[in-house]
Amino acid sequence: MRYRTQAVAYPYWVVALLLYGLQMVFGLLAIVKYLGPDPIRAVLPFDVSKAIHTNLLIVWVLTGFMGAAYWLVPEESRTELYSPRLAYWQLGLFTAAGVTAVVGYLFRWTAGNKLLEQPYPVKLAIVVVMLMFLYNVGMTIWRARRLTTTEGVLVAGLAGAAVLYLPALLEFDNYTVSIFYRWWTVHLWVEGVWEMIQGGLLAYLLIRLSGADREVMEKWLYVIVGLTFISGILGTAHHYFWIGVPAYWLPIGGIFSALEPLAFLAMAVYAYAATRRSGLAHPNRMAVHWTIGSVIYSAFGAGILGLAHTWPSVNRWTHGTMITAMHGHMAFFGAYVMIVLAVVTYAAPILFGRPHEEHETAIGLWAFWLQIAGMFGMTMAFATAGISQTYLERIIGLGYLETQQKIQVHFLMLLATGILFAAGVALYIYDFFFLVPRGHREPTPWPAAEPVEA
Amino acid sequence: MTKRQTRAFFYAGTGVFGAIFIALTIDSHRQFPTLTHSDRITPAVIAGKHVWHRQNCVNCHTLLGEGAYFAPDLTKITQQRGAAYLKAFLKDPSKFYSEERDRRLMPTLALSDREIDELIAFLDWVGRIDTQGWPPRPILVTGAAIPGTEAVGAPPRAAASSDPVALGEALFRRTPPGCSACHSTAPGVNVVGPSLANAATVAAQRVESPDYHGKATDAAGYLRESILDPNAYVVQGPTFSSGGRSLMPSDFAQTLEPRQVDELVAYLMTLR
Ligand code: HEC
Ligand code: HEC
Ligand SMILES: [Fe+2]
Repeated sequence: MRYRTQAVAYPYWVVALLLYGLQMVFGLLAIVKYLGPDPIRAVLPFDVSKAIHTNLLIVWVLTGFMGAAYWLVPEESRTELYSPRLAYWQLGLFTAAGVTAVVGYLFRWTAGNKLLEQPYPVKLAIVVVMLMFLYNVGMTIWRARRLTTTEGVLVAGLAGAAVLYLPALLEFDNYTVSIFYRWWTVHLWVEGVWEMIQGGLLAYLLIRLSGADREVMEKWLYVIVGLTFISGILGTAHHYFWIGVPAYWLPIGGIFSALEPLAFLAMAVYAYAATRRSGLAHPNRMAVHWTIGSVIYSAFGAGILGLAHTWPSVNRWTHGTMITAMHGHMAFFGAYVMIVLAVVTYAAPILFGRPHEEHETAIGLWAFWLQIAGMFGMTMAFATAGISQTYLERIIGLGYLETQQKIQVHFLMLLATGILFAAGVALYIYDFFFLVPRGHREPTPWPAAEPVEA
Repeated sequence: MTKRQTRAFFYAGTGVFGAIFIALTIDSHRQFPTLTHSDRITPAVIAGKHVWHRQNCVNCHTLLGEGAYFAPDLTKITQQRGAAYLKAFLKDPSKFYSEERDRRLMPTLALSDREIDELIAFLDWVGRIDTQGWPPRPILVTGAAIPGTEAVGAPPRAAASSDPVALGEALFRRTPPGCSACHSTAPGVNVVGPSLANAATVAAQRVESPDYHGKATDAAGYLRESILDPNAYVVQGPTFSSGGRSLMPSDFAQTLEPRQVDELVAYLMTLR
C-alpha cells in the first residue's frame, strides 16, 4: 500500500463479500420456489426472497464500488484520505441501512417498487451515505489539488449515481409516470453512470496490470464513457415500450439501445489493445483473470444479450418473460460483480503485504471458473426457459401456469448451475477471508513505479 | 485524436443526447394525460396503487410487463376476469388454484374488502392505458392446456365468414371477453365457471327446472340471460359464486354489442 488510509477499503470489501454470500442464499431460495411447491410460502414468499436477492446485490456492489474508490483515490491523488473516520461511519450507516431494509422486507416493510423497495427512511439514509462519501472523496482530491482522469471518471460515476437516486424519492399518482422516472434511477444507473464506474476501474486495472501508458488509456476512456452516454441516455427508451408513453420512444429505444453494445465492445478493444501493447505480465494473475473476464462477460451479457431482445418487434413478444432475467443476470455479473472482484483481487495482496504471485491459489482459480461456468449455465437456463415461455405463452397462447409447468426442466438446470455458481462465490469468500491473511507479513515494497505523468 | 478531442467528444455527446432526452420527457408529459386517461385516476385508483406497492405484488407479478416473472401478467386482468371473480380470488386464491396441481399458489394476503375494491379499480385503470397494442395476443393466467379451452386465436373458418356460429366461436375464444379463460367446452372440465360442453342441452333443462325464476322461456333465451345478467340464475359449484353472487363478469351488457351476443348464443346453441 502506498498510502496508509487506503486500508479503509478493506472493511468495505468485507461487508460487500458477506452480503454477496447472503445474496446467493436468497437467489437459490427463489429458484427452489420456481420449482415448487413451496412449504415456507406463508413465512417467506417468493416476492420477499426476490426483493432481498436484488437489494443485496445493489447494496453490496455499491459497497464494493465505494471501497474501490477509497482504495483508488488516495493512490491517484497521491495523498492520504481526508477522513478515514468519516469513511468508517459512512460504512456503518450504509450497512445499517442495508440490513434494516433486508430485515424490514422479511416483516413486509417495503415500498414495493421493483428494485427501489427501500422504505422511505432507508432511502434518506442512503442519500446521507452518498453525501458523506462524496464529501470525503471531494475533500481528498481538493486538498491534493490533483485529479487524474481515471479517478475523475470513477468519482463522477459515483456522484452521478447519487444524483440519479433522487428521482427514486419522488412519488406519482400515475403509475405510468412513476415507471417513467423509476428508470431514470435504474436504467441510468446500470447503463449509464455505473458503466462510467466500470470504465474508471477498468482503466485503473489495465494501467496497473499491463503497465499501459496512462495518457493513451485515459484518452480512450473518454471515448468509452462518451459512447456509453450517447447510446445509454436515449437507450432508456427501451424501458418505455408498452407502458403508456408516446410511440416515438419505440424507434428511439430500438436504435439507441442497439448502439449500447458499442461501449462494451470498446472496452473489450481497449483491454485487448492495452495487453497487446504492454503484455499482461503482472504477477497477480488472478486479478488479470477477473479483469479480462469482466470485459468479456459484460460485452456478452450486457451487450449482446441486451441487443437480443431490445428491438421493439422482438420485445413485443419477449417483454416480461424470463428473457429479461437471462440478460439481467449475466450483465450485472459481467459488468459490475466481476469488476469489483477484479479490484478486490488486485488489491488484496497489497493490503495484506504479500507478494502478488502467491495470490494465485487453487481455490482462487476454482472460485473464478465455478462462477464463470455457473453464470454461463444459468444464463443458458434462463434463455431456454425464456424462449420456451415466449413461444408457448405469448405466441401459442397457452396459459401462464401451464407454460410454467412445461418449462420446469429449465428451472432444474437453473438450480444445478446456480449451485455451481454459489459454490464459486463461497470459495471466493473463503479465499479472501481465510487464506490470504494467514501469511501476513510486512508490506512488500511497491511494485515498479508507474511512469510519472505531467 | 488527442485527449482533448476525446474529452470534447464525451462532453458534447452527453450534452446533446441529454438535451434531446429532456426535451422528449417534457413532450411525454404533455401526452401522458391522454395516453393514460389520467382523468380516470380516482382516489380509489390511487389508493389501489398504494395497496399494490404495500403488498409487494410487483415482486411476483408483472404489470405492463414489468416486475417479476413468478406469476402471470396482470395488465388486462380486469377485462379477462371481471370484478366479481377477482374479488373472490383475492379473498382466497386457494379456492381457485391448488399448489399440488399448479406447483405454485398465490399466498392469501390479508386484504380488506375495501383494499380489494381499490386494487381492482387500480388494475382496471391500468388495463385501459394505451400500450401500443401490447400484449399482441392475450396473456392468460390459465387455459389452453386445459381440454376445451384452446385459445388459438380465431378458428380459421371464421376469418372470411359471416356465419354467426363461427363468429360466435371466435369471439368466445378471444380475450376480451375471455369466455374461454373461464369456460371449457370439454365435458366435465370446470375452470372457473361450469363446462359449456352441453350448453344448449343444459340450458333447456334449466328453464324447465322448478328453481329457475328468471325471465327466459327457452334455451337460447336462457343462454342470452346467462351472459347479460349472470345473477338471474346462479349455477352452484365450488368456484362459481361468492355470497350468492355469480363470479362471471356482470357487464357484458355494456361491453358486448347486441350482434356479438347473438353470435355467442348461436355458437353456444350448437353445443349439445
Ligand atoms: C408470492 C407471490 C405473489 C404475490 C405477492 C402476489 N401474487 Fe397474485 N398470483 C400469484 C400466483 C402464483 C398466481 C397464479 C395463480 C395461483 O397459482 O395462485 C397469481 C394470480 C393472481 C391473479 C389472477 C387470478 C386469476 O385466476 O385470474 C391476480 C388478479 C393476482 N394474482 C393479483 C395479485 C395482487 C393484486 C397482488 C398484490 C396485492 C398479488 N397478486 C400478489 C402470486 C403472487
Ligand atoms: C371470470 C370468469 C367468467 C368469464 C370471463 C365468463 N364466465 Fe360464464 N360463468 C362463470 C361462472 C362462475 C358461471 C356460473 C355462475 C353463474 O351461473 O353465473 C358462469 C355461467 C355461465 C353460463 C351458464 C352456464 C350454466 O350451466 O347454466 C353461461 C352460458 C356462460 N357463463 C357463458 C359465458 C360467456 C358466453 C362468456 C363470455 C362472454 C362468459 N361466460 C364469461 C364465469 C365466467
Ligand atoms: Fe436498460
